[in-house]
Amino acid sequence: MDKNMLAGLEGMPEEDKMRMASMIDQLQIRDSLKMYNSLVERCFTDCVDDFTRKSLKKQEESCVARCAEKFLKHSMRVGMRFAELNQGAATPDN
Amino acid sequence: MAANNSPLPAGVTKEQAFGMAETEMEYRVELFNRLSQTCFSKCVDKRHVSSGLHLYFYGSRYKESELNMGENSCIDRCVSKYWLVNGLVGQMLSAGGQRPM
Repeated sequence: MDKNMLAGLEGMPEEDKMRMASMIDQLQIRDSLKMYNSLVERCFTDCVDDFTRKSLKKQEESCVARCAEKFLKHSMRVGMRFAELNQGAATPDN
Repeated sequence: MAANNSPLPAGVTKEQAFGMAETEMEYRVELFNRLSQTCFSKCVDKRHVSSGLHLYFYGSRYKESELNMGENSCIDRCVSKYWLVNGLVGQMLSAGGQRPM
């Protein structure tokens, strides 16, 4: 989801373009917040399993850091592939 | 969504067209999110045993922050297959007389 979606809207009157741009902006914000929430839930579920204290163990902290980084890298890769498929780009079946 | 000064389809107001565009965009975002979540669960940080069992341990998950080669290939294939399934289901839904996405 990015401003490349605007590329197809060249012929539109200015006010319509701005309306579309604002829609995309809002969607982007909403999507980022959703991602934030689900990432927290995922990394918490995968990394934290000890409730003998309120504070996080060092091990849990590093696990969360790696989990988040890994998911973000994964998400970028998926975004690349998704964009390719959206454009109908042919890729080898391997 | 009409673009490049082409007229809207008959009976569709500009408001409706914007509404449909927004719905379409939300659908695409949701598709991306579900695809991403699903393929992460299926491909990333799994321990594979040759018999095909999946094992993972809470304590030692996420040993590193990089994606390895296996995970990368799995992600590419997963995205591709998910996309195909998405198309298949879409076809079945429209064949059944439902509104196609």
